[in-house]
Amino acid sequence: MFHMMQEALIAGNKVEVESLVEAALAEGTPAARILNEGLIPGMERLGELFKSNEVFIPEVLVAARAMNAGLAKLEPSLAKDGVQPRGVVVIGTVKGDLHDIGKNLVAMMLRGNGYRVVDLGVDVAPEKYLEAARADGAGAIALSALLTTTMVQMKNVVEAVEASGLRIPVIIGGAPVTREYADQIRARGYAPDAASAVEEIGRLFCP
Amino acid sequence: MTSRELVKRTIEFRSPGRVPRQLWVLPWAEKVWPRELAAIKERFPDDIVTSPAFLNEPLRTSGEEYAPGVFVDEWGCRFENRQWGVMGEVKEPLLRSWKDLDAVRLPRERLSVDHRRVDEFCTSTEAFVLSKTSVRPFEQLQFLRGPEPLFMDLADRPDELFLLLERIHGFFKEELELWARTGVDALVFADDWGGQTSLLVSPALWREVFKPLYRDYAAIARRHGKYLFMHTDGFVTGILPDLIEIGVDAVNTQLFCMDIEDLGRRFAGKITFWGEIDRQWLLPFAAPHEIAAAVERVRTAFWRNGGAIAQCEFGVGARPENVAAVFEEWNRSKKLLYNI
Repeated sequence: MFHMMQEALIAGNKVEVESLVEAALAEGTPAARILNEGLIPGMERLGELFKSNEVFIPEVLVAARAMNAGLAKLEPSLAKDGVQPRGVVVIGTVKGDLHDIGKNLVAMMLRGNGYRVVDLGVDVAPEKYLEAARADGAGAIALSALLTTTMVQMKNVVEAVEASGLRIPVIIGGAPVTREYADQIRARGYAPDAASAVEEIGRLFCP
Repeated sequence: MTSRELVKRTIEFRSPGRVPRQLWVLPWAEKVWPRELAAIKERFPDDIVTSPAFLNEPLRTSGEEYAPGVFVDEWGCRFENRQWGVMGEVKEPLLRSWKDLDAVRLPRERLSVDHRRVDEFCTSTEAFVLSKTSVRPFEQLQFLRGPEPLFMDLADRPDELFLLLERIHGFFKEELELWARTGVDALVFADDWGGQTSLLVSPALWREVFKPLYRDYAAIARRHGKYLFMHTDGFVTGILPDLIEIGVDAVNTQLFCMDIEDLGRRFAGKITFWGEIDRQWLLPFAAPHEIAAAVERVRTAFWRNGGAIAQCEFGVGARPENVAAVFEEWNRSKKLLYNI
């Protein structure tokens, strides 16, 4: 059944994912097992396919929609069983930048991989990341930028995090962003695409 | 040799004698570097220009397209912007629901082009003249639907999507037919198909839904004896063979997102690379000697007695000395070109 669930998820078949999750719950399968052995491996496989250019943005978006539908069926049971997310990630597009499809893809993939995501949206000032990270007990801050001119705002966020004493990593990504730039501004994580962002955050959470 | 002849020889790989030039300028550069920009334009005049549209009816827009605030385009799409000198983003799409499909109004004012004045413009210049078209079916769909809903549509394939696309495409064909009857040398269309490291949609989807539209545009150009130029940003290696097949003569794309040498091995001599030099890192942050090295890479990869145009964008963050270095290096290459 878990294999079918993964296949349905990768195909973006929302109805099938919902139906399989309901069936698994009805059979008495623990919600955490459905999540960890059914849905999350499906999203991980999707991430691999995305990285290797075998699926593209439309397929990722409909798979994320199917994942959300499956999660919605699972959430009451997960809450009842006290299942915790893998971690909390605060995410947003930096100040002055309104582009969000890359950031949204990362947020969807993180959710699909068991993280709780606090999405601050676009045009986010450095202090907003700090406030949210403190309020939600975040384990990482993820920054996105599309423009060369707004990319420089990432440095301000890294510096604000360092000055605040918050000991959480900042991960950055977006069209003009490179590993070298991440190193230059002391961001601890960098990802060239949404699937890599999930892996990088996993590495930062469990070094 | 006139600029027009120079460009034609370049596109046809007929040893033009030097590489034709074109500088793209965003309003940011005009505002931040006015004197430097003027000096660059004087030293390196464009061989390629765009004809004004000379519309008899004004476009129904509001706001400033490249200023912070809200700009509403002629289709009624609302762009929000925080940055001076760049285009904004659609945050509240016109077509949130397909129930609103009939509310989409084709901006027919775009078709009120004054042919006589366009023709006068074309005969008044020795430069190679591009059409002032705004043909971009994929991007127009994004502006109307919003990017994420559109990508979901492309996976879900609702009938309404294809009704909308048919209307948009019909309008764009009309616009291209109209310009094809003027004295311009080339028709222009655009759609950004690449992300930084891959296509935005699968090549299969692209070939099924969008390639036939572009084939229609190429047919219009051929029927009227015009060249066809396309702009497409991002990593688009996967569709370049298709663009060559349908008859695109020159493509402007972000070469530096891709493997330039691989592109050269596969496509040099088959299509003209209409620029560019990297605007994400090199033009804003590099030193002029690095710009020269970048031009050398492009020249080596693509020049085959033609097949390359010295083009770059003076956009947000770009350094004027680097923009000048692009054209200086292409000028220096004159002797080298014929020894490749």
